[in-house]
Amino acid sequence: MKKVTLALAASLLAGVVSPVFAVDEPENIIKYRKAVMSAIGGHTGAIAGVVKGEVGFVAHVEAHARGINEMSKLITQLFPAGTGSDAFKDTRALPAIWTDKAKFDAAAQALQDTSAKLIEVAQGGDVGAIGGQLQNVGKACGGCHKPFRAEKK
Amino acid sequence: MHSLAVLAVALGLAASGTVIGPGRAVAQTFDRLAAEAVIPSKAEIRGGYVLRAAGCVPCHTDHKNKGPPLAGGRALPTHFGTFYPPNITPDTETGIGDWSIEDLARALREGLAPDGSHYYPAFPYTSYTGMSDQDVGDLWTYLMAQPPVARAKIPHELPFRFRPVLGIWKSLFFEPGRFVDDPAKDEIWNRGAYLVNALGHCRECHTSRNILGGVDNSRRLAGTARGPQGKKVPNITSHPKDGIGGWSESDIAFFLKTGFYPDGDVAGGAMAEVIDDGTSQLSDADRAAIAAYLRDLRPLSGP
Repeated sequence: MKKVTLALAASLLAGVVSPVFAVDEPENIIKYRKAVMSAIGGHTGAIAGVVKGEVGFVAHVEAHARGINEMSKLITQLFPAGTGSDAFKDTRALPAIWTDKAKFDAAAQALQDTSAKLIEVAQGGDVGAIGGQLQNVGKACGGCHKPFRAEKK
Repeated sequence: MHSLAVLAVALGLAASGTVIGPGRAVAQTFDRLAAEAVIPSKAEIRGGYVLRAAGCVPCHTDHKNKGPPLAGGRALPTHFGTFYPPNITPDTETGIGDWSIEDLARALREGLAPDGSHYYPAFPYTSYTGMSDQDVGDLWTYLMAQPPVARAKIPHELPFRFRPVLGIWKSLFFEPGRFVDDPAKDEIWNRGAYLVNALGHCRECHTSRNILGGVDNSRRLAGTARGPQGKKVPNITSHPKDGIGGWSESDIAFFLKTGFYPDGDVAGGAMAEVIDDGTSQLSDADRAAIAAYLRDLRPLSGP
């Protein structure tokens, strides 16, 4: 009986404690980071639909641009040390992120700047201009992915 | 580029004497500027476009080490060793300054150096063989108008000296011949086919190769698990699952312009270089032609 109680207590304790341990585990950071990146991709994909002329939601572009801009401000927090591809299989984040931190921060800043400009351009409602600025946003994405994200295997 | 083209047309008109009165003075000014090569000729402008469409820049420029444009030296790792594309600026010592148009044509379309030796097929003459006379000539004009850069060739790093057997390789895997329009298809499709197969040399990376490095033409553009840099290269046939059958023509054209995939991700790696130095600088019409052609490819599964 005592054993059972003890086991019960232990499992209860484990049930309470384990989520606490799981917070900010590298695996979870990686998962969260991917979700944020996908959110950015979702917004750019949506704007691309407008730029390609597939949909007429020109008035939505500003909201998407704000989404990208807000997410871009989080990027540098998404890469705590020890969450790179050298330690984990499930990420393409290259070690250069931590060895070349200044360059990485600048690359992240470029997305903040280009997306802020995209908000401004979106307010003008000119699809051609939006397309031009979206290209600059894409360059900012690539400017970080090229040096800091491994290619897909 | 576009405004330069307009200027070049204006220059052509002016120089041909169709402009009279005060126009003649303008024409003379244009002549002088053209003589000083301040304004590029029409052929040169076209040649610069051919250079982009043919994707010459990413291999012949060592971007990584901030090398001068077209002066070569960028490492190109392959299964057969590491190649260093040569200097194609018009420097007479280390570049192609003393090449004639015929020399360039033979290099591009027959894979032969001016001294008659064979080039390694890391240089995609297997595709460039389809290039038109006009494009080769314009490209020559463009290259010769670029600033010469003295930059010595870096020797390829190869496990064997393959060069003596390249003649045999070519007899097996190289089919020389100009691109010919398919009369059953429209002009846009044919332009797309020319851009993809001759200039763009897409299949050189997007097709699997046999053990001897010959492209498997039965699997053309169906991707490969073992690409030139040891990486997977995607299937770009219209297969709905394995290829890009789920992409619209505007998706393809937009990708080639901006690097954005339909899901909002951005291209990286070798394709990003192809886009930056090549397809992003083409006309919308040419990107649409490439898209129209790719969408019409027979769907193949894999790789």
